[in-house]
Amino acid sequence: MSRGVGRRSFLTGALLGAATAAAIPAADAAQPDLTDGRASAVPFHGVNQAGIVSPLARQSAFLSFDVIAANRTELTDLLRTLTDRVRFLTGGGQPAPVGITGPPSDSGVLGVSVPADGLMVTTGVGASLFDDRYGLADRRPARLTAMRMFPDDALDPAWCHGDLLLQVAAPNNDTVLHAVRDLTRHTRGAMQVRWRLDGFTSPPRPSGTPRNLMGFKDGTANPATGDAALMDSLIWAGTGNGEPAWTAGGSYQVVRLIRMLVEFWDRVSISEQENMFGRRRDSGAPLDGDHEFDTPDFPKDPIGTAIPLTAHMRLANPRTRKTDDNRILRHGYNYDLGMDGNGNLNQGLIFSCFQQDIQRQFEAIQTRLIGEPLVDYISPFGGGYFFALPGVHDSSDHFGRSMLG
Amino acid sequence: MPEAPTPDDGVPRWRPSRRQVLVTLVALVAIGAVLIAVWPGRTAQQTAAQNTITVSRSNCGQGWTRPAGGAQTLVLANADSNNAEADVVEVGGPNDGKVYGEVDGLGANTSQPVQVTLGPGTYAIRCLIEDTDPIMGPAVRIGGHATANAAAVPVSNSDLLGPLKTYQAYLVTGVADLATKTDALDTAVKAGNLALARTAWLPAHLTYETLGAAYSAFGDFNGQINGTTAGLPGGVDDPTFTGFHRVEYGLWHGESAASLATVTDQLDGFVHGLQAALPKIEPQTVDLGLRAHEIMENTLQFELTARTDEGSGTSLATADANLAGDREVLGVLRPLLATRYPQLSDVDTWSGRFQALVEAQRAPNGTWTPVSQLTTATRERLDGTLSQLVELLAPVAAIAEPRLVS
Repeated sequence: MSRGVGRRSFLTGALLGAATAAAIPAADAAQPDLTDGRASAVPFHGVNQAGIVSPLARQSAFLSFDVIAANRTELTDLLRTLTDRVRFLTGGGQPAPVGITGPPSDSGVLGVSVPADGLMVTTGVGASLFDDRYGLADRRPARLTAMRMFPDDALDPAWCHGDLLLQVAAPNNDTVLHAVRDLTRHTRGAMQVRWRLDGFTSPPRPSGTPRNLMGFKDGTANPATGDAALMDSLIWAGTGNGEPAWTAGGSYQVVRLIRMLVEFWDRVSISEQENMFGRRRDSGAPLDGDHEFDTPDFPKDPIGTAIPLTAHMRLANPRTRKTDDNRILRHGYNYDLGMDGNGNLNQGLIFSCFQQDIQRQFEAIQTRLIGEPLVDYISPFGGGYFFALPGVHDSSDHFGRSMLG
Repeated sequence: MPEAPTPDDGVPRWRPSRRQVLVTLVALVAIGAVLIAVWPGRTAQQTAAQNTITVSRSNCGQGWTRPAGGAQTLVLANADSNNAEADVVEVGGPNDGKVYGEVDGLGANTSQPVQVTLGPGTYAIRCLIEDTDPIMGPAVRIGGHATANAAAVPVSNSDLLGPLKTYQAYLVTGVADLATKTDALDTAVKAGNLALARTAWLPAHLTYETLGAAYSAFGDFNGQINGTTAGLPGGVDDPTFTGFHRVEYGLWHGESAASLATVTDQLDGFVHGLQAALPKIEPQTVDLGLRAHEIMENTLQFELTARTDEGSGTSLATADANLAGDREVLGVLRPLLATRYPQLSDVDTWSGRFQALVEAQRAPNGTWTPVSQLTTATRERLDGTLSQLVELLAPVAAIAEPRLVS
């Protein structure tokens, strides 16, 4: 019983956790941007794309496309067009008048003048883009593969993979939908949507990290995006580790579309629910702590008396030196997709994460999670692995320039 | 004294010539007129920097006091007692007559902003007051280096009469051909040869599917000959479900020849009725541009989704026929579009691509891949290519709309 969880050590752990949490800036990537109305523009040009270490937006759409461009020139045109449209949409402004030469150039969904409204569009490429169609086989990011099937997955091919991913995010749903409509309008002959799922971030209920549709705070323990050195070691594609030079400034993105069996979940006792996550549902505190941002003390709880060894939180991030470089920057968006054929709510989570190395990070975590008790209540059905391109540096640059050059 | 006569920052700084003094005087009078005409309406709240321009019989175009290049909002105020339309037109030079902005349905004593981007040149407002010949307002000169928004010389109704005549000749031939083919279909069914009837149904249907610019002119014949079950409470059993898709349903759902003979006879009758009525059927000039766009929208909406398929699985054959019919319309409009639509060659490119993709789904024995059997990759290519084509066809409808110019 020397390392068990006596009342005293539980308290110590909680206090330690509180102290640690205070020293670290609140997990900023998980905090929603609560701006209402017209948020200001998020800068488009930069070394990295917006939407990666940015605050989580309230509304989002994930669109995976199959590229149907006939050749590499048309693929380049597609990426230039995307760049031009994203530059305009994220900066806002007056749509071009067309006189009597055509229908209006803008849908008008956001009014006469397009507000920037905090829009962020993040463009990624899938492994399939590097097949023989566009002569890019030798440019594939070293760690980019097709998403693998894990034992607890029920993947539907129609909801998986894709040549190109757009993550469209903004404080308001109409801003997201306006951008989606504009971007697809200008690229119809070059790419077609393979799958799309829209997500939202709930407001804090009542405070702290937003909750997922299982009622739990989701994304509490993210690496601090303000720590540039940490981002260089965990998020941005490395240099000198076998990556093609063009990948500098990019990041690997994993998207997993995870159905939550919410009716079943609601029929599970609270203690069982909390043991599955390893956190309190009400406060978000680790089961060995008092407050959401308390750091769980796993060494003090080696057999899982407080936080079961199979708890999601504990398996995902065991907080050991060995698993430190497994950490990911996690973005979760809730989704609601009507009903299924059996009259149950089709709801769940768009799990998205950024990292430097999918195998070292996401796959290592997901491998630890195989068979966790939570798998009975969730069902991953889609998603894909992508490489979020380096940022567009300036007005003469475009998405993928270094990749195609 | 600044030399540039027409800066594009919105503030005129020219040295007035005799003529310009006159223009300015007229403009000042016009400002008064506008203020009187619209006060205390909406336009009174416009900022001073915004040009509020009068549309009326007596003061057309007055009030454009701050002519400037670049992106801007012009407010067109109808001070007349009649409803009006107004155009922002370039006058003189190689772009003479091009319209940069247009306001339709400008009610009496209302105003409407129009967004334009104007480059260097001379411009005027054309006032189209109901029951009055078009009036051109005074010319204003704009300098600077801005690139103007896309513009075109309007197409007039008389411009479209020649193309319409050519298209009508195409209809006469097409409907005659159609009648021969529905005769053959009817004959096969009445002879009890349903295999032959299934073979005869497709060419007859496809012939009708190439006449897409005239469907509204055909009136009731269109629904009788090619209607679907949409809107019919009884679905395929609805007694008013007639025509090609009704025949298709029977031919591909084991209906007896005796029972089908009633519907093929009826179809053949409608087609001959159409042929007889054709001399009196007059498609509108406005249909040409509209249908050049909409034919392919319908293909995307009803054929690539197989929504009209009643069992033959020939939606892609229909798409192919629709494209042929669309090219016919584009062909008669081509002389008008050539000088007005810079992306006309892109239309041809994407039309060609769509044709190649669709016809790749016809097997050597003449059968077509049903839409439901397309691979995801092929389906995406068809959808994307046709979607690109309709994006490119949409401007044809806008450009070829008949407009009053003089």
